[in-house]
Amino acid sequence: MVWNKIETSRREDIEALQLKRLQDTVERVYSLTPFYTEKFNEMNLKPEDIKTLDDVKKLPFTTKKDLRAHYPFGLFTVPMSEVVRVHSSSGTTGKPTVVGYTKSDMDVWDEVMCRVFTMAGATSEDIIHNGYGYGLFTGGLGFHNGAEKVGATIIPASGGMTDRQLMLMKDFGATILAATPTFSLHMAEVAKKAGANYLKDYKLKAGIFGAEPTSAGLKKEVSEAWGIDYHEVYGLSEIIGPGVACSCKESELLHVFEDHFLFEIIDSKTGEAVPEGERGELVITSLTKQALPLLRYRTGDITSITKEPCKCGRTMLRMESIVGRADDMLIISGVNVYPSQIEHVIANTEGVTLNYQIIVDKKGHLDKLEIHVEVSDDIMSDSLGEMAIIKRNIQSALLNNLYINANVTLVQPRSIARSEGKAVRIIDKRKDK
Amino acid sequence: MSRIKQLSIFVENKPGQITDVTTLLSKNGLSIKSINLVDSSDFGLLRVIVDDVQKAKEVLDDNGISLKITDVFAVSIDDHVGSFNEVVLALSTNNINVEYTYTVSNSHNASFIFKVNSGKFNEAIAILQEKNIKVINEV
Repeated sequence: MVWNKIETSRREDIEALQLKRLQDTVERVYSLTPFYTEKFNEMNLKPEDIKTLDDVKKLPFTTKKDLRAHYPFGLFTVPMSEVVRVHSSSGTTGKPTVVGYTKSDMDVWDEVMCRVFTMAGATSEDIIHNGYGYGLFTGGLGFHNGAEKVGATIIPASGGMTDRQLMLMKDFGATILAATPTFSLHMAEVAKKAGANYLKDYKLKAGIFGAEPTSAGLKKEVSEAWGIDYHEVYGLSEIIGPGVACSCKESELLHVFEDHFLFEIIDSKTGEAVPEGERGELVITSLTKQALPLLRYRTGDITSITKEPCKCGRTMLRMESIVGRADDMLIISGVNVYPSQIEHVIANTEGVTLNYQIIVDKKGHLDKLEIHVEVSDDIMSDSLGEMAIIKRNIQSALLNNLYINANVTLVQPRSIARSEGKAVRIIDKRKDK
Repeated sequence: MSRIKQLSIFVENKPGQITDVTTLLSKNGLSIKSINLVDSSDFGLLRVIVDDVQKAKEVLDDNGISLKITDVFAVSIDDHVGSFNEVVLALSTNNINVEYTYTVSNSHNASFIFKVNSGKFNEAIAILQEKNIKVINEV
């Protein structure tokens, strides 16, 4: 089943549509966003210089830093009266990255999510259990709206409270699960406690998983633990949210919804394009976004793309699962966070420079963040209570500012490993597992 | 001079942490007059009184061990029923809060150690001396 016949169009038709939309977008941001007008002028570039799709290379890059520098609405191309929705993700200085949607952007989001649900076999007969977090994070509401558009029954369960979610999935007879892969596996492990044939209690047939990088092993485990088809969804709030690409039943590669998003893969150091099939940093240009169209947005995600057609009949290009990051960004249970953000929060909590180390690990299948803070003279106290407060303060500051749960442990000064005199700030133990 | 300088030393909750501290002290010829460990779930504070607090601080600082020097006072244990109660009652009726207390007994002394708010330290000593409670200068 294909939601929109455009997904099976001839490539030349898709590319012609992309060029038209790229030109419109370039024209739009050049005339409406001072940030881009200035960039174009600096580069001596005019919208009419974009004559072919390949000319996208001439356009300036946009980064997360640019979004932050124009916090909150500085890059919007429409007045707020036309903005119907705002989402955001956590930011370095406590200021989040803000994205906005017009009514037509919401329609596009619904449209691409309908394609995602249809790939997973969803129809109006299905009951979709949505375990993505509702709120500023795009996951929960992105899935929610698309499911309504498909006509399925959506259960807005949101994140957390595993036992309750399992009860709802069982009692309501959910047929499709939408959640992060690690949380889905965690739920399966809890469900298994009911006995070896726990699956008889559930009616799940497929799952749509995303928001975190996923190894082939983890996909297989989730798929087997629930006895369901695994569909991987890719997206990021800066571009739209979930619904940029999704995998069908026939292949593990993700179909990119190219009529709305223009993909490039570049060498993140040189900025030059890499040949088709080779891995590099994914760069996306929005083709239809109205409120916040971004040119050549540097996702920081490492992947590769192929134009080879898929057995399912879809002709849009496909990307492989994200294999890594071009920068030091961490993804902790679906939340994107940079070590520098953690550093900033820690420094601001106690008002003193602390020596710390971030340890990312897995507890079962859930990512776990451990932060070791060396007890300097500045925070040393004769009172256990006062020291416990420091630990609690840092934990709650991380939760409030970055939406991450971390366990803070106080350690002896100089116990954090140094490499050439510099503290080793981050250890990612997940990679070894 | 009734102020006793106590070292509060940060220890992680794992094997060998206390030994690291005590080994350093003994190697440097420092005599431990009293030692008391309090712990939370993942770290502890070792409260130690030694014969040479400055030297102990230097040794521990040099070895990257966090510590804080705190003023405490010691009351000689008078072996009769209610002796501890007399001390805390005298302090509490004067609105002085005891932050913590522990007992010390070594070869030549037995006493209660008290930590009160540093701003109330002198007042506490004065109150106890008035009550003829024996505040001692060393343990």
